[in-house]
Amino acid sequence: MKRKVKIKINETEYLVNEGENILTFCKSIGVDIPALCYSEALKPYGACRLCIVDVKGGNVRPGITTSCTLTASEGLEIVTETEEINNHRKILFQFYLAQAPESETIQKLAAKYEVTDTPFTKKVREKDNLGNQCVLCGLCVRVCNDIIEKGVINYTGRGYYVKINTAYALPDDNCLGCKACAEVCPTGAINFEDLTDTRWGHSWSETKISLKQCSVCGEYYSPQPFDEKTLGNMNPEIEKGLKDMCPSCRRKTMSKKQVAIKENRFSILNLK
Amino acid sequence: MVGKEKNKITLPEALQAVAKSGLETLCPKDKIRIAVGYATCGIAAGADVVYAELEKQIFDNTLEDRIILTKTGCFGFCKMEPFVNVYFPGKPLVIYYNVNSNDIEKIISAALHGKVFTEKALCKIEHWNHITSETDYGKGFDDIPLWNELPYYSKQVKVVMRNAGITNPNSIEEYIAVGGYQSLFKVLKQMSPNDVIEEISDAGLRGRGGAGFPTGIKWRNTQKEKSKTKYLVCNADEGDPGAYMNRNEMESDPHMIIEGMIAGAYAIDAKTGFIYIRAEYPLAIERLQRAINQAHEYGLLGENILDSGFSFDIFITRGAGAFVCGEETALIASLEGEAGRPRPRPPYPSVHGLWGMPTNINNVETWCNIPVIIEKGADWFKALGSPNNAGTKVFSLVGNINKVGLAEVELGTPLETIVCDVGACGIDKKRIKAVQTGGPSGGCIPANLFDTPVDYDNMKKVGSIMGSGGIVVLDEDSCMVDTAKYFLNFSVDESCGKCVPCREGLKHMHEILEQISDGKGKPEDIDLLKQMSETIKKTSLCGLGQTAPNPVITTLQYFENEYREHIEEKVCEAKVCRELTSFYIVADKCTGCTLCAKHCPVNAIDGQAKYVHIIDQETCISCSSCFNVCPFDAIVKLSGESMETPEKPIPVKK
Repeated sequence: MKRKVKIKINETEYLVNEGENILTFCKSIGVDIPALCYSEALKPYGACRLCIVDVKGGNVRPGITTSCTLTASEGLEIVTETEEINNHRKILFQFYLAQAPESETIQKLAAKYEVTDTPFTKKVREKDNLGNQCVLCGLCVRVCNDIIEKGVINYTGRGYYVKINTAYALPDDNCLGCKACAEVCPTGAINFEDLTDTRWGHSWSETKISLKQCSVCGEYYSPQPFDEKTLGNMNPEIEKGLKDMCPSCRRKTMSKKQVAIKENRFSILNLK
Repeated sequence: MVGKEKNKITLPEALQAVAKSGLETLCPKDKIRIAVGYATCGIAAGADVVYAELEKQIFDNTLEDRIILTKTGCFGFCKMEPFVNVYFPGKPLVIYYNVNSNDIEKIISAALHGKVFTEKALCKIEHWNHITSETDYGKGFDDIPLWNELPYYSKQVKVVMRNAGITNPNSIEEYIAVGGYQSLFKVLKQMSPNDVIEEISDAGLRGRGGAGFPTGIKWRNTQKEKSKTKYLVCNADEGDPGAYMNRNEMESDPHMIIEGMIAGAYAIDAKTGFIYIRAEYPLAIERLQRAINQAHEYGLLGENILDSGFSFDIFITRGAGAFVCGEETALIASLEGEAGRPRPRPPYPSVHGLWGMPTNINNVETWCNIPVIIEKGADWFKALGSPNNAGTKVFSLVGNINKVGLAEVELGTPLETIVCDVGACGIDKKRIKAVQTGGPSGGCIPANLFDTPVDYDNMKKVGSIMGSGGIVVLDEDSCMVDTAKYFLNFSVDESCGKCVPCREGLKHMHEILEQISDGKGKPEDIDLLKQMSETIKKTSLCGLGQTAPNPVITTLQYFENEYREHIEEKVCEAKVCRELTSFYIVADKCTGCTLCAKHCPVNAIDGQAKYVHIIDQETCISCSSCFNVCPFDAIVKLSGESMETPEKPIPVKK
């Protein structure tokens, strides 16, 4: 069992597991800290810099640091909002408003911290694959690389000109069409569209993924390569027929079978 | 490539035997030794031509039996390169400067007679302290000064550059001849890893990469981690504009780095070391690789070094040109084959570094200091420098300064000594305005603070950093807004783009500075710049972002009036900012030579032969071409004022 350590958050003492992530813990006790690049499913990344807190004690260097990269150690004391932090956050939000001028999520989040405008030049790109909404938090890249293990997208360019896209901005047939990237994107910048038998990754250089058709109702329901990958992880004993059905038909088929089994038993009982 | 172990050294006597053979080429008893300063800087100045000419003349005159021709590293006085040094048995070592192929004949013939070609002789060395040993060359040649009588060298203390320009970097024997690899017997046979760390801690050595973290503590942090695999890295990704100390150290004396790394590896129990070096240093890579191979041949690297049971090997990895890879977590990412993007700390590399293993990273110059600390002891080292800032530091002195070069001085030496005594002040007696230390991560220090001792703590106090050792001198012709803009532009280009303050913030700061230098600045920009600097400094992920605003912060701190002049009066006093500078032709001085008109790229100059020329202010782009070519000083630069000129070209008077 993990050792418990005493930490302080905004003057209140807590007993937590040693090594527990501070940002996760803060969220769990309702202490609100803004963050764009953090996901519990991934390693801390420390890119968005919004989750800064003031820290002293414990085994870390005192001062301002990101809470997503902090872990609990005995005697750690954290203050989540100070005048200085608010000032820094204000400027960070002004950077974000300029960077992703068309992101409503950012506008709403910034407004919550009383930032509604930016003095900086807005980065508006014509025909931006991410609709000028990307904040380069890197969640999509990390999900695709570390969890899906496909590495279809990555950063291109450097510094101010970094963008996220497929290699050479060409369609990539390694894409499973799983949309995990779109799922984790904090600003909803990633755009996929299903058109009859094809899923179009508009954000990823118009990468095309063919959809699988249900053997029963004929609906296109799931990206072919994704389906293969997930079914490959499943028990091979599973009935073959079920593999080619959409979730809805699968459910119907399964329940019919269940009913049939029950009816069967019932009839056996009746006979006796 | 690993060399074969031909003559594995296991006993001090064996090392002495190698030293003997090294001495035969370093101070030959019956031959003349001619050595060309053959580092990249020397080659750029023409050392390759000089070397080829020497080779040819020695061959043509069949002097091979009498003269040993060889290469050394750089003697540190860039302005005087190419260097050739000549040793005639029993006489002082003579150092010739600015040698070209016409001098070779005279140098050789003087050497053959045990004489000096005085015209090109810079100085002589009668006695040289290699720290790990001493060499007495001989006395004589009274008409040329001793090396340390020259103002450039008199304030310098050569510890890191103890062999640079004297020994042949391609010869392990010469390195051993001056006491090299001697410390390993002490380290591997007499000291425990703890003893080594104690010695380094006690010496007070601080990281020479710039941040000045105590090396002993860094080693201790890696040592105390319980892991079977640990790594050691030499950070040779020198990237500050105008800084080239590490290049010289690697090119001039690669073995001292290897010796230092072996001691470090023993202390923290690492079996594998990497030298992460930028690919732009091909000569340094070549010499380091050769040095590694030579060390293998003598069993100084590899399995069971000196028969001590300790094994260690070093591999070279070339960086692909990203400045940020000098930051340790980005360097680790790059070593692993990932893109060079920094990672959050903690966990620190000493706990979770290369491939997740405890890793100790030190700068090239830090490693250079290790062998002498072991050899001479912590007390000897502590006696150099100032309290809490032990030892020496090599600075590359560049910019608007008379004597450009590498200066090694004790820490705590006042900036004035470095700039005025060693560097001999500004070019053409121009007033020096400030220096920029620490490259794009450092700050501008104004001339009125030149009494500041140069060490980690005092540099921090005045808002700059020691950095890796670049000192860029700025004179009255430098505009501080432009300087800040230059360094910020560097950081914008080199930002990896991972975290928002560095990626977005620096770009916006640069935009504001551009507005100011274009005369479009707003009074509120100054406060905005200050706020942004503070946020970027405090919230950036890695050292690059955390220090990138320093040039802006310090120029604002010391030269806010220049910013205000740009913003409020639209004046650039130094006449650097193009949009605020206009060019005029003084009618009385113009001789109608037409040179300016010929060089104008936008045809803004009207005139013909023997007529006073006129610059059309609307068309002029303030490129300075005319100003630079006018042989009669007839063109003036003005900022914030204008000048009456004739409306049409008129015949020149007389």
